[in-house]
Amino acid sequence: MDTVGWWSFVRFAHVAGAALWVGGQLALSLVVLPLARRLLAPEAKDSFTAAAGRRFGMLTGAVFLPVQLATGWAMAWHKGVTWASLAEPGYGRTLATKLALFAVVMLAAACHGIAHARGRADLARALATVSLVGSLGVVLLATALPTT
Amino acid sequence: MTGIEARPPTGTGNGNGGEPGTYPNRFRASGVKARHLRAHVLVVAWLAAALLAVAAQGTLPVAQWLAVHMFLLGAVTTAILIWSEHFAVALLHAKVPDARWSAARLGTANLAVAGLIVGMWTASPALTAVFATLLAAAAVAHLVMLIRLGRGALGGRLKPIVAYYRVATAALIAGVVLGGLLAAGGAGGPDRYAGLRLAHIHVTLLGWIGLPVLGTLFMLWPTVLGVRMKDRTTKVSRWVLWLTGGGLLVAVVALALGWRWPAAAGLALYVEGAALTVNLLARTVRGNRAVSAAAAWTLAAATCWLLIVVVTDLAWLVVRPLAAAQTGIDRLLPVLLIGFVAQILIGALTYLLPVVLSSGPRDRAAERAVLERGWPTRLVALNAGVALAALPLPGPAVTAGMLLAVLAGAAFLVPAVAVLVRSGLARSRNAGTDSASQRPAVWGTAAGAVLIVLAVLVANSGGDTDNPAVASATGGGATTATRTVDVTLAAMRIHPARIEIAAGTVLRLRITNDDAQRHDLKVQDGPATPMLAKGDTRVLDIGPVTGNREAWCTLPGHKAAGMTMDIVVKGHDTAKDSGGHEGHASAADNAGPDLSADFSTGWHARDADLAPAPGGTVHKVELRAAHTTVEVAPGTRQQMWTFGGTAPGPTLRGKVGDVFEITLVNDDTGMGHGIDFHAGALAPDKPMRTLDPGERLVYRFRAEKAGAWLYHCSTTPMLQHIGNGMYGAVVIDPPGLAKVDHEYLLVSSALYLGTPGSTAQVTKMRRNTPDAWAFNGIANQYAQQPLKVKAGERARFWVVAAGPSDGVAFHIVGTVFDTVYKEGAHLLKPGQPGGAQVLDLAPAQGGFVETTFPEAGHYAFVDHDMRRAEAGAHGMVEVSE
Repeated sequence: MDTVGWWSFVRFAHVAGAALWVGGQLALSLVVLPLARRLLAPEAKDSFTAAAGRRFGMLTGAVFLPVQLATGWAMAWHKGVTWASLAEPGYGRTLATKLALFAVVMLAAACHGIAHARGRADLARALATVSLVGSLGVVLLATALPTT
Repeated sequence: MTGIEARPPTGTGNGNGGEPGTYPNRFRASGVKARHLRAHVLVVAWLAAALLAVAAQGTLPVAQWLAVHMFLLGAVTTAILIWSEHFAVALLHAKVPDARWSAARLGTANLAVAGLIVGMWTASPALTAVFATLLAAAAVAHLVMLIRLGRGALGGRLKPIVAYYRVATAALIAGVVLGGLLAAGGAGGPDRYAGLRLAHIHVTLLGWIGLPVLGTLFMLWPTVLGVRMKDRTTKVSRWVLWLTGGGLLVAVVALALGWRWPAAAGLALYVEGAALTVNLLARTVRGNRAVSAAAAWTLAAATCWLLIVVVTDLAWLVVRPLAAAQTGIDRLLPVLLIGFVAQILIGALTYLLPVVLSSGPRDRAAERAVLERGWPTRLVALNAGVALAALPLPGPAVTAGMLLAVLAGAAFLVPAVAVLVRSGLARSRNAGTDSASQRPAVWGTAAGAVLIVLAVLVANSGGDTDNPAVASATGGGATTATRTVDVTLAAMRIHPARIEIAAGTVLRLRITNDDAQRHDLKVQDGPATPMLAKGDTRVLDIGPVTGNREAWCTLPGHKAAGMTMDIVVKGHDTAKDSGGHEGHASAADNAGPDLSADFSTGWHARDADLAPAPGGTVHKVELRAAHTTVEVAPGTRQQMWTFGGTAPGPTLRGKVGDVFEITLVNDDTGMGHGIDFHAGALAPDKPMRTLDPGERLVYRFRAEKAGAWLYHCSTTPMLQHIGNGMYGAVVIDPPGLAKVDHEYLLVSSALYLGTPGSTAQVTKMRRNTPDAWAFNGIANQYAQQPLKVKAGERARFWVVAAGPSDGVAFHIVGTVFDTVYKEGAHLLKPGQPGGAQVLDLAPAQGGFVETTFPEAGHYAFVDHDMRRAEAGAHGMVEVSE
């Protein structure tokens, strides 16, 4: 088997997607938004924040989420993961926990969007932080999984 | 009425209108309210965590413990700490204690509870001990605070109630100490354990939770009803404290020491006290409209459950000895937990949350409306569920009841969270924007961190990932390694049955009982676990192991039944492979392979179906003799000597008069083999001679007679050649053999584990002490992969006894044979009035039986020599509709 084969490509897409999403969140919340808050006028800041959030949300829903789900599913299939094996201690349970945490992160991100739309700024910020920190947790759990 | 509502709960009870005005304002201060808000967020979070643990009940062994302790030690303890302080200040008319110290006590207690839970979850005794000490310290601080509040305080009419809180806090300290003893497993024997456990349960539930509830009810009940308190309340509350507190002290000390009758007497005093309280509360009720009907009904229902549970508990203690009473009392726990504790919490919070969180009468009414939403439905569902669970009904009804009760209780979380969020939002709107701007990020980070910690805990749960039948634990080099091995007690076996470690390894065993009955594990010259109920887990620190040790279940008969485990130091004599110790087979060998374990993944049972005789009258077959390693029992691989790569070898089938031409090739290295077909008559000299490695021979015989015949290796010592797998069956159909729906062939044999030909193995063969017995060469294979038949179908079972020393008494549970054919003759035919139960075959005999399976079900087939049936010679016919 080739060292760099089709499955490496699938894994690459999965890892790169995660890196872009987590990195994008970090860049937005640590660099872009604080600068926007400091440099832009209040109205401009609000519309900029909303637009940035919407753009990132669309990117998430349209590209990131489908790619992660498809590649993740494919790799699990390739490794022979079954529903029953998800409950077993070790690989299965770690993977199941990672999936659950990922679901929570996605939920937090979705709620962030809703809260933002309803003008609940504080709640939205808290949820965005939960989503960001939680996705770091997903990455942590992913590194604990042996390579497929 | 509104005036009553606007005041804190004690306002009405005091009756003297001027006095209460001195303290409500202090509670309205925003600092106190913020603290209440934070504390109740904690309570709700613990409740949610407990519900999660309940949901995980099936998958995590410690889930039940976690659920109970997250609920009682997390949610309920936090609530009691908050409210006992709040009420003590109000009742004593004392100064509000320093907010920072209050927060520190509450924080410490919560940290300690979280630590305890992590300690129990990860089965780390050191962590558990540290956090138990911390919790006890927080309780002592709380007690000191309660005592100091009393000094120099003005004191109201209801001052005695604060004494309930003090006694309760002492009970918490005692409960923590008892719990620590239990967790450390240093409690002594099983009887001792039962007593300590009962003492722990009583002192925490009836002391730490029961006493503050009874005390608080004296003033909360009239307040909730909106009536004046009875004049004799003060006096009654003093008596009740003496009865309940004193009775509990007697009961708990007696239980811990294992004295049953003093315990019952103490509990009777407690019952008397509780009954006095209920009597007074019942007399308080007037016909007027209650301030909060929801709270009143919920509190009343909860108090009834307390009384019911305590009386039943007393009854159990009176009629049964401690260890036996435990089972009955355990069944009361869910009733007490949900019916009493959860319900009292719901009732009290329904009334109190609006009182402490709201900013004005209108706000309070709105919050109360939210909390009381759907209360009659929730009340009825919860109490109906608890009643279902409490009554001696079949399992599904109890489960349904518990589910109903838990869901109804959990439904309170929704309005509670709503009120907390509402109040929190109102506060943050009022707070300055500067300070608020940083807060969401902090909250979000904290919540995310909690999520990650939980996720890592879940991912790491369930212990080591590698858990083979023989857990190998090798220390690297000269340094002492620590090794934790997961041990499961199930089906009267200890899994793994053997642990191999390097000398000096520090060994820890994490023992889980998966069996329906109780077991423990005692390590030779080492510690023992307490009795473990199903699902319980304990960790035993064995320390450095330098010599071979044994471990076993101490219950009478369990060790003899096979509940032993060997801890073997590598390099020491392991008997299994050594030839020097005749007759000293290790205990692990005597116990035989672990038949309750699973076969390795990808394993398949040998096909028992017997194909019809192929066409033609000459059958040419090539058989190669060789060594093959086979999984002969779950997880046990054994080198076998085989014909055609399997033991038994390939089955040959034909009709009377057919000619068989077998080419035998000896592929073995360094060992001679031959073959002997019982089905043909010929001079043995040439065809049955021993072939040297690499030689081949053609063995030609005509099957003149029908029957189920054995073939086997003809080379001496035949005991070893047959005992190691060199046998097979030849089936020659009797003329006119009727067609049946299924035909199976089962070759029975004994299994001898160990290196083939080693002294240890041969000794077992000579003494006829096999490790297991098998049909078609693999112990228990058809128990794991049953034969499948439909109801009403007719099946024929050909059986050949390969030995080497044992015959077979073939029987199918639940069926009667209408046809028996043995050694060339029908002993029974379908038309005859008689029936048969067993086909008995001496070594090397063969025959068949036929039967029709009457209805769907599981029909075990066994060698009715039960020693052999229990050690592998059994399988299953799964009959479906």
